[in-house]
Amino acid sequence: MGIILCTTRGGPASYHTQDGAITLAKERGDTLLFLYVVDLHFLDKTAAPIVVDVGDEVQEMGEFLLLIAKERAEEQGVTAKTISRKGEVREEIKKVAQEEGVSLVMFGRPAGQESAFQLAELEEYAAEIERETGIETIIC
Amino acid sequence: MSQLILLSSFYLFTGTESAVLESAATEGSVGIAALISAGIFILMIIAISFRLLHETAAALLGAVTIFLVTYIGGHFNPALSIITFEGAMDFVDWNVIFLIMGMMIFMAILSETNVFKWLAFRLYLRAKGNTWLIVLWLVILTGITSAFLNNVTAILLIAPLSIQLAIALGLSPFAVVIAEVLASNIGGAATLIGDPPSTIVGSHIGLSFGEYLVNMAPVAILCLIALVVINRIQYRKEYAVAKKSISPTLVEKLESESDIEDFPTLYKALFIGTLTFVLFFVADYFGQMPLSVAALSGAALLIVWVRPDMEDMLREVDWTTLIFFIALFIVVGGMVTTGAISWLATRILVLAGDSLTRAIVLTTWISGIASGIVDNIPFTVAALPIVDLLTANIPGAEESNVLYWSLILGADLGGNFTYLGSAPNIVAVGLLAQAGYQLSFDRFMRDSVPVTIVTLVIATIWLLVRY
Repeated sequence: MGIILCTTRGGPASYHTQDGAITLAKERGDTLLFLYVVDLHFLDKTAAPIVVDVGDEVQEMGEFLLLIAKERAEEQGVTAKTISRKGEVREEIKKVAQEEGVSLVMFGRPAGQESAFQLAELEEYAAEIERETGIETIIC
Repeated sequence: MSQLILLSSFYLFTGTESAVLESAATEGSVGIAALISAGIFILMIIAISFRLLHETAAALLGAVTIFLVTYIGGHFNPALSIITFEGAMDFVDWNVIFLIMGMMIFMAILSETNVFKWLAFRLYLRAKGNTWLIVLWLVILTGITSAFLNNVTAILLIAPLSIQLAIALGLSPFAVVIAEVLASNIGGAATLIGDPPSTIVGSHIGLSFGEYLVNMAPVAILCLIALVVINRIQYRKEYAVAKKSISPTLVEKLESESDIEDFPTLYKALFIGTLTFVLFFVADYFGQMPLSVAALSGAALLIVWVRPDMEDMLREVDWTTLIFFIALFIVVGGMVTTGAISWLATRILVLAGDSLTRAIVLTTWISGIASGIVDNIPFTVAALPIVDLLTANIPGAEESNVLYWSLILGADLGGNFTYLGSAPNIVAVGLLAQAGYQLSFDRFMRDSVPVTIVTLVIATIWLLVRY
């Protein structure tokens, strides 16, 4: 029994990927690991006073979204775990995949501008993960 | 001092009203230094509005360019001299800088207690599954918080929990977060410390905290009521089908996020905060004590009482914002000194003529529309000298300061037109994207334009009737 890593943000665009990962985990009898990465680049060009720890606020929101994903998986009888990280998305996915002994990394097919990656960029990144870590990747 | 310089430059034009109009009609050109300073300002605005550079970097680059042109260009050709370093310092409104700094220190300590999330979660429980009521409470909480604390901080503290609640209830997070952003800009207009345009204008004309509150809070409340009514109409279908409750696991998670983290600090912050606000109200009684002195006194007392790590405390003061304001005052100072602002102001004066009504409508709506397109902070700093000239020349404007109120309302409410208009809008877009909801420019405007138009109409009627 392996572990499938599914990076998610929540929202309607992510549900398709979550559903694909849940179905695959059920078929293979694998455990699901949902990952949320805190990305604060949106604050880069704002000089507004940032006196709160935005990273912590967004991480708490991410953990809530992960909990929703976990509930969706468990409703389908799939065991799911969650993990949230702060940092650069590409690096964090690779790190988590290696640290958690993941057997498969699953990505959602980019849906227009809402996605973090464009398709060509994502295919290249998936190939990079396979090359560097030997972990299988799927774009669903 | 800065006001003296502004006025002295305007008196070149304002001997009598007819002289101004005649002067405006005949004066066809401005000096090379005025053109360069205006060019630098326009480039800075473009860089900020289209996010080509960080706001602080853009403003700093603008200020430095003005000095380099003055000292290096002016060395070879005196006509290129825009403003000296010493002259520029007179344009920096230190009352604004220290007021914002004092409030930042207060906010940094208060926000660590988690009190805003605690309040937001209590309001959710109080709504007892009525989705519309939940949104109403959250929007009102944001509006009130923004009246006393910085708008961006209010959004950063309240919006993440609101997004979670909306998703859990099966409601589009746009219904809550866009309304909260609009409420933060409206609420910011209610007090002198609520929004930077309010602080800048209030400090410029020496308004007291109470005087500002009496004039602006009623219209801000009316605009907030209009916002919630429009939101109810816009999202009536979504509210009808939203869930009435959320799963116990999710409620447990929200509750654990919403605990008060440090009761002693919270009590101290509330006590000192109350004292500070009392000082804001009575500041005028003590020889027109600037509000920055009251804010810094509160911040200093709180630091001494709470004893936070000073290194951490200083890191939490957002120096980039303070530098942004200083650089901005310098860039606009360059335009005032060279006559670029006066040139523009006389043209607007010709447009307004003798009519105070026309001037009110023009100031409110030009400020409103401009603040939706460009950042409302640089706009306000640049528009202030223009309003000075209009106020000095239009009969009846000086007694009531009505054109300054028009500028404040236009800049604060107009910031809602597009998501480029003010910083909370940008931050909310980023937070929504982090939750997987991409808020496009058009989608934001679908909600924001009706609210902005209605609130600007309310503001215009208020100004015309009240003054």
